[in-house]
Amino acid sequence: MNGTLAIYRKEVQTYFRSPIAYFVVSVFLLGTGYFFLYNIFMTGIGTMDETFQNMGTLLLILIPVITMRLFSGEHTGRTIELLMTLPLKPWQIVLGKYLGAATILLLMTGATAINLIPLYLYGNPETKTILSGYIGFLLLGLACLAVGQFFSSLVQNQIIAALITVPVLLGFWFVGHLQSFQSDYILRGLFGYLSFAQHFGDFVRGLIRSEAVTFYLVVSAIALTLNVSYLQWRR
Amino acid sequence: MIALESVSKRYGSRTIIHDVSFTVGKGEIVGFLGPNGAGKTTTMRMIAGYTTATSGRVIVAGFDMATQNEDAARKLGYLPEQPPLYDVLDVSGYLRFVAQAKGVPSREIPRDLDRVIRACRLESVVRREIYKLSKGYRQRVGLAQALLGKPEVLLLDEPTAGLDPGQIQEAREVIRAFGENHAVLLSTHILPEVTLICQRVAIINQGRLLAIDSPASLQKASEQANSVRLEVTAPAEALRDALLAIDGVRAAIVHSMAGGHTLQTAECQVDAREGVEARIARAVASRWDLHRLERQQPTLENIFLRYIGDTTEGKPA
Repeated sequence: MNGTLAIYRKEVQTYFRSPIAYFVVSVFLLGTGYFFLYNIFMTGIGTMDETFQNMGTLLLILIPVITMRLFSGEHTGRTIELLMTLPLKPWQIVLGKYLGAATILLLMTGATAINLIPLYLYGNPETKTILSGYIGFLLLGLACLAVGQFFSSLVQNQIIAALITVPVLLGFWFVGHLQSFQSDYILRGLFGYLSFAQHFGDFVRGLIRSEAVTFYLVVSAIALTLNVSYLQWRR
Repeated sequence: MIALESVSKRYGSRTIIHDVSFTVGKGEIVGFLGPNGAGKTTTMRMIAGYTTATSGRVIVAGFDMATQNEDAARKLGYLPEQPPLYDVLDVSGYLRFVAQAKGVPSREIPRDLDRVIRACRLESVVRREIYKLSKGYRQRVGLAQALLGKPEVLLLDEPTAGLDPGQIQEAREVIRAFGENHAVLLSTHILPEVTLICQRVAIINQGRLLAIDSPASLQKASEQANSVRLEVTAPAEALRDALLAIDGVRAAIVHSMAGGHTLQTAECQVDAREGVEARIARAVASRWDLHRLERQQPTLENIFLRYIGDTTEGKPA
């Protein structure tokens, strides 16, 4: 556990000693703030529904910025040799990095709560729906982080890691749209099931379905396991 | 402490390391010599556990690198060719991370940091971010990192590269002190370094271990390969013929610049017998202007080049 903690601390320190954390959090806040105001003033309805949807899309673009350096950065900085020769198990490295990235996600998410202040002051929002939306958003973020981290371990260049991660995440987000082209019942079901957006939609509407929770957790687990196996195989 | 048992490394069909075996014992500093691309770094990486050997066994502090990687890694300090530094961290933050990752208990970390910071003379830069450091300091932070956690085995890939002469001296002292009761394997390009601090030298070329012995006995082994170097103003052809005619001269190479009466540098392979120089001097001085004549000591560089078999013309022997 100490090894995981050491990696975690290093990752968080690195995020905050470089511009990445500040950049990601401020861009996300600016974007979310804009969408929030736009949605409230355009519709006049005091909910977070639309804003959550926009946050989801914005997240897909920002996740690669967080994850691209996780392993690729170790190659560019020539530190991978140290990392892989320390008395650490691959899962400790993967978990430590993942938790470090998740901390940034948590920070981004927490900071958007500032939008709730006017919502509660001037409106009458449903607290349960908002909570469920936030849970969904965090789960979505965790799954995206795991996918991004895995791709970062595959390539040695940060930019390429990001360039691979973006279309993959967008693919998972929009795969639900393929449903309308399919007449086959099984394919329709599959595309629906794989869609990040459709599961997220449930949370936004206030539904915490165990199927959706499991889905995001399984995606994260698969990506992290692949990440660990890849590190083991590389040795 | 370090034992390689017929270790080979293949990438696809290309064999990088051929059947290398050697050991480094406790209290021993072994120098690892070889030209670029000889397989030094690959061998170091296999001992460090960064890559695995295709066949053969690597044992570090009694642990098999293939099966007990983590136990072995705990006993190991490794400085790769490029010091592995996290540029945005400050020196103490970086060293603390490495100490934690190496499993140094939290209450011992401050003392351990203190020890390596003092050993590597980093007191003045402890709070500075690593990207602001000069090359010499970066190298020393890399060395400090390797010393953390009191490893029993130290692997140093070119530890003095980028240091100025004073710092090299200090780094050598650190390594020498450490080598007194640990096992150290260090690769280097700087040959005098090997004679200064290593008890034994391993020479590697094209992935094969060519020799491993003390610098002194390697020197002795090549005593026959004595040579005499001279500078003469003479025509190249005639000079070579004259040199070859002298009793005791086995071979002669004239590095001529141009034809005619110009300054030539010549090298003669001579017998180890006495008086050869005198005969060469008499023969040459009677016909031409002899500017300089000296017997080449069998330096480690000569021995190295002889083993590598790469004494191409024009290269200083």
